[in-house]
Amino acid sequence: MDPENRPEQPPLIVRNLHKEYRIPGGSPLRAVDGISFEIQKGECFGLLGPNGAGKSTSMNCITGFYPATAGEIRLLGYDVFREPRKARQSLGVCAQEDTLDSDFTVLDQMIRYGTYFGRRVEVVRPHAESLLERFGLKEKSHDLVESLSGGMRRRLQVARALISDPQVLVLDEPTTGMDPEVRRVLWDIIVECRGRGLAILLSTHYMEEAQRLCDRVAILHRGKILDCAPPQELISRHIGEEMVEEEIRPGVKWRRPSNLEDVYLKLTGKHLESGGGE
Amino acid sequence: MTAWWGVRCVWLRHFDVYRKSIVYGLVTTFIEPLLYLFSFGFGLGSMIGKVNLLGVELTYRQFILAGIVAQTLMFQGFFEAAYGSFIRMYYQRIFQAIAVTPITLSEVLWAEIIWDASKATFSASVVILIGSVMGDFSRWGALAALPLCFAGATLFAALGLLVAAKSKTIEEISYPQYLLVFPMFLFCGVFFPLATLPSYLQWLAWGLPLTSIVSLTRTLTLGTPLQPQVFIVIAAWLAALVPWSRQAMSRRLIK
Repeated sequence: MDPENRPEQPPLIVRNLHKEYRIPGGSPLRAVDGISFEIQKGECFGLLGPNGAGKSTSMNCITGFYPATAGEIRLLGYDVFREPRKARQSLGVCAQEDTLDSDFTVLDQMIRYGTYFGRRVEVVRPHAESLLERFGLKEKSHDLVESLSGGMRRRLQVARALISDPQVLVLDEPTTGMDPEVRRVLWDIIVECRGRGLAILLSTHYMEEAQRLCDRVAILHRGKILDCAPPQELISRHIGEEMVEEEIRPGVKWRRPSNLEDVYLKLTGKHLESGGGE
Repeated sequence: MTAWWGVRCVWLRHFDVYRKSIVYGLVTTFIEPLLYLFSFGFGLGSMIGKVNLLGVELTYRQFILAGIVAQTLMFQGFFEAAYGSFIRMYYQRIFQAIAVTPITLSEVLWAEIIWDASKATFSASVVILIGSVMGDFSRWGALAALPLCFAGATLFAALGLLVAAKSKTIEEISYPQYLLVFPMFLFCGVFFPLATLPSYLQWLAWGLPLTSIVSLTRTLTLGTPLQPQVFIVIAAWLAALVPWSRQAMSRRLIK
């Protein structure tokens, strides 16, 4: 049955995803170990974990860039590995690395990227202009990417991910390296996208970001999902108390609201920033 | 949308970048073959008399012009693919950005090879045009040489893409450049007939792709006797390099 004619199903379905990397002369490295989740329309789903937990590998499999060792990924009903063209027609991706096309100006690169989705230039141009305005980049439309600051480049990368009017948006650590002000601008944009019904997959190692933006969070550790629930539910389930006591330096303790990092620490015995994935 | 649509989209992206810096593009595309042409064709050519190639008498300018066509295919095809694709893959991450849209990585890599080959063919066709206008080349032969030019350029573009895929840093591209491309430039019959080399070097040269491309270019444009092995050599190199380069680049990008 054509996916468009099927009964309503979640825009993104990940089932039992496994990913192993070939290591020359060694045994394969298991980066993702059987994760499963679904994301509904208008839902922001967070993958929370430190570097090496398997977030980016999962993202690369979900976009169809890396082949999965096992498991199934469906975007709008299409298998991302068997029907990548159809599956990715409704996908917007903001990769962790800067993948902006430095050979083009800000506007031209938005338009060019839109053509990769089969859109005509005259259709994509007004959309690109309105996105640049929304992201505060209109003044930079005719500048080369090289002249943009780090925060602007990141905003442009998210804006570019929206050029095809995606129904599923994959954001891999979109605010890493941003100053707090720019981070908040991007948070507002993500909230707006969620409000417009996009299914958003967000990977982050910032607990505040996950708590603010995500309807549900999966705690990822060594390629496995340890638990998955709304942030507050995870905190209640694993920490229980509203306030926790923390020793910030020898002999100095303070009480603060419990957060997702406490959950992560409880589940793995490691802090998010300590590279607990390895 | 078909696979061809994806290849065309990415090819147009590369063409658009070339078009935006057309002055730089034209200078780098045409100056080099023209310098060789003036230096060797007119300069050295005026000091050297006739060259007898497989029983056909040629002026040295005719002889070198056909060699420059083939050499242009190699240099333009190899360098654009090796350095250009390394930059697009490693520094700009363009391959990765496009391969998460409806265009697949396979299409991105086809577009890369075809673009590099197109640019090299464009460049070589200017030398062919000059040869035809000056009356050194047979006009119909020159026209017939264009598909050969594209095949040859594809071969060297695939070689460049393979080198880019295998090089950890951009500096590493220098190794095959000095150990393979420059020796081909010097010993594959661009500047002198292969018969002047010791027989073992002739054998070695015939195993390299440029020799066959030079030979076939002279056959088509100057009417020298066809050496049938050229088809086997060109086809074998193409059949090996195109899939190998694509596989190597895919493996480099996809973990």
